[in-house]
Amino acid sequence: MARQKAHSLINAPAPAPAAPPTATLILDAGAHTLKAGFSTAGTCHIIPNCLARSDRDRRTYIAADLASCRDFGELAVRRPVERGYIVDWSGEKAVWEHVFAAGGVLGGVVAAETTLVLTEQPGAPAGTARMSDEMVFEEFGFAGYYRALGPALNAYAPSPFLPSTAPPPPPGTPLECLLVVDAGHSHTTVTPLYHGRPLHPACRRLDIGGKLLTNHLKQLLSARTFDVHKEVWLVNEIKEDACFVSQHFARDLERTWKHNGSPRTKVDDGGDSIVQDYILPDYETITRGFTRPHDPTLTARNRLGLGLATTSTPATAPKEHILTLGNERFVPPELLFTPSDIGIPSAGLTGTVLQSLAALPASLRPAFLANIVVVGGTALLPGLVERLRAELRARVEEGTEVRVARAGDAVGNCWLGGARMARDGGGLGRVVVTRGEYFEHGEGWVRRRFAGKGVR
Amino acid sequence: MATGALRFRTPHIDELPTTQSRQAPGFAWVAVAGGAQEDPSKNWGTTNRKRARVSLGGQTDQQREAVSAKQQREIERKLRDLNSDNAKDVVIDLPKKHGVGVGGVKAGKTTNTKKILASGKNFAHYLDDEEAEIARTGRRDGEAEAPPPPQRASKTPLARRKTREDSSISGSPAPSTMQTGPPLLPRGAQALPHLRANENDIENEDYDDTPTLPSDAEIEYLLSLPPLTYTQARAAPPPATGPAPRRFCETCGYWGRVKCSKCGTMTCSVACKDVHDLDKCMKMYT
Repeated sequence: MARQKAHSLINAPAPAPAAPPTATLILDAGAHTLKAGFSTAGTCHIIPNCLARSDRDRRTYIAADLASCRDFGELAVRRPVERGYIVDWSGEKAVWEHVFAAGGVLGGVVAAETTLVLTEQPGAPAGTARMSDEMVFEEFGFAGYYRALGPALNAYAPSPFLPSTAPPPPPGTPLECLLVVDAGHSHTTVTPLYHGRPLHPACRRLDIGGKLLTNHLKQLLSARTFDVHKEVWLVNEIKEDACFVSQHFARDLERTWKHNGSPRTKVDDGGDSIVQDYILPDYETITRGFTRPHDPTLTARNRLGLGLATTSTPATAPKEHILTLGNERFVPPELLFTPSDIGIPSAGLTGTVLQSLAALPASLRPAFLANIVVVGGTALLPGLVERLRAELRARVEEGTEVRVARAGDAVGNCWLGGARMARDGGGLGRVVVTRGEYFEHGEGWVRRRFAGKGVR
Repeated sequence: MATGALRFRTPHIDELPTTQSRQAPGFAWVAVAGGAQEDPSKNWGTTNRKRARVSLGGQTDQQREAVSAKQQREIERKLRDLNSDNAKDVVIDLPKKHGVGVGGVKAGKTTNTKKILASGKNFAHYLDDEEAEIARTGRRDGEAEAPPPPQRASKTPLARRKTREDSSISGSPAPSTMQTGPPLLPRGAQALPHLRANENDIENEDYDDTPTLPSDAEIEYLLSLPPLTYTQARAAPPPATGPAPRRFCETCGYWGRVKCSKCGTMTCSVACKDVHDLDKCMKMYT
């Protein structure tokens, strides 16, 4: 691996004359979606961070083009971000160029006049960090660049514990103590932050994320109903629409027992039944599936639970394909809390949070226990925050205050923090590396700066 | 009263003290959990020998190893499937007309970017590279560059080298394998001794034993510690004293109560077991 020295950059294009960058672009590159926006905007644009190919349409969709896709059946997806780190730069470059294009959602990005704030996940191997730095400066040509730790930016977003009527703190001031649980697509990280700076010895990572939950649901559905192995997009939608985290796993499992293969009878008490029907999209009339309370008359004939609605609808109405979901609704999300259910030798989410706290000095633990914020796409699962709170309360001492909350906008919270931090020009100016500095000192110096080792 | 070794085979008899104090002659049948499984010779007259052979995984160490390696491979294959983004490897090429744009598009503008865009490495490669780098020297990217070793570089391959005393692995806060216990505090955390209660203070009734917040210098020290590597930051397995992993029915997802004698997967009832035997049984032979 060639080490970067300043003189090896002779072949690089000469750096542009130093015009001060006019705008700051915040990019939160996740494995599932890319959150992009200028720091002056109020909210970010959420763009699928993938290249997708549909054999039915015979088209390749890049990033935001997917919004125009009508048929998500058997969609093959290529994700340039693997395990939270950008490894496939040719794919990611295509996505970024699509986002930065003049007609794109951002309204055109001129890299030479823009400072880029890019997020990266904790624990990045040196190779991926180096690649990001080189691509940003040499290929895209940004004027300034700051590679931030993703969870750390959450400290600059408004705290979910304060009432919404309270005035937000001035931009650029981080929250004092915050424990960020980032439940994302590839993994879930637990990061304690002190004034926006991570306490590294206590950072922990659980290798379970939305992707694993979707794949597990895919396997369950393929084994019990019909084969959905190629339908990743569809199963992802099913997971988002129907899955939840159960508060009493044993009780819910009893309620959804199928009683030895006999047709599923309504065993739920009280009326809030767990068993639901999911109407599958057929991409002609229905583009996105939806759930409905279970109606056993429709599926009584077919033991697999795949029913067609023909009884009460007129003959000309389109037939619905129905999938009945029982314990498939809460068994995949249970993996977050009990990974040993399928043999992953790891503690669950509560155990990971407790391991992270155990690595902190005892005096700091109550402060972090009272400020736990859950962000990320997987945090949108109903019941996740309540379950985490209940389990933590049961496992810490009596009398300690435990406050767990989901950020108002779980997916975009990290971006929001980055935008608020960037609005404070002075704070950002201290950490940003300009293009001139990169070509003068070389990539290794830049990497050490971002790791906190260098001195300005 | 079978205290000595018996010449003829009887079921295992253990005379246990009972609450009845009368001295009755004779013996009592007592079920000893698991006692029959360990010694196949004690399963006299039953077909449990075959069951024991299968359940223990084999008679020789070689067979047992083969079975456990096979199970391990099954688990790893399942986990790999669970972590994949697509059903199988798909190659999606960038559309051709996307190539119109800033000059030198597909190839990249500088030599570095050309290499990056053309590389086909995935995350596992970068992780291996980083681990190799750490094994060779101290952590490279964040730390200052280590001074070159005074003697000439060793020609011993990595596999045969003895680990260096000052290797960063020995001081890492988390074990590199996931089998050992929860991660220990890094060395630096022991540099905060005054947070531990002083024995004299505890006896003092006015002693307020809530620990004081660490001072600014200590917090600065904590903040300046280097970030953990990818493997170090992984959550450790739960302590072995916790509850055993739960098993579920393979067919319907309810609690697993019946274990298939051939392949070891659980089902919840006879109906589900029939479905399992028809389609899904792995039928691992010993």
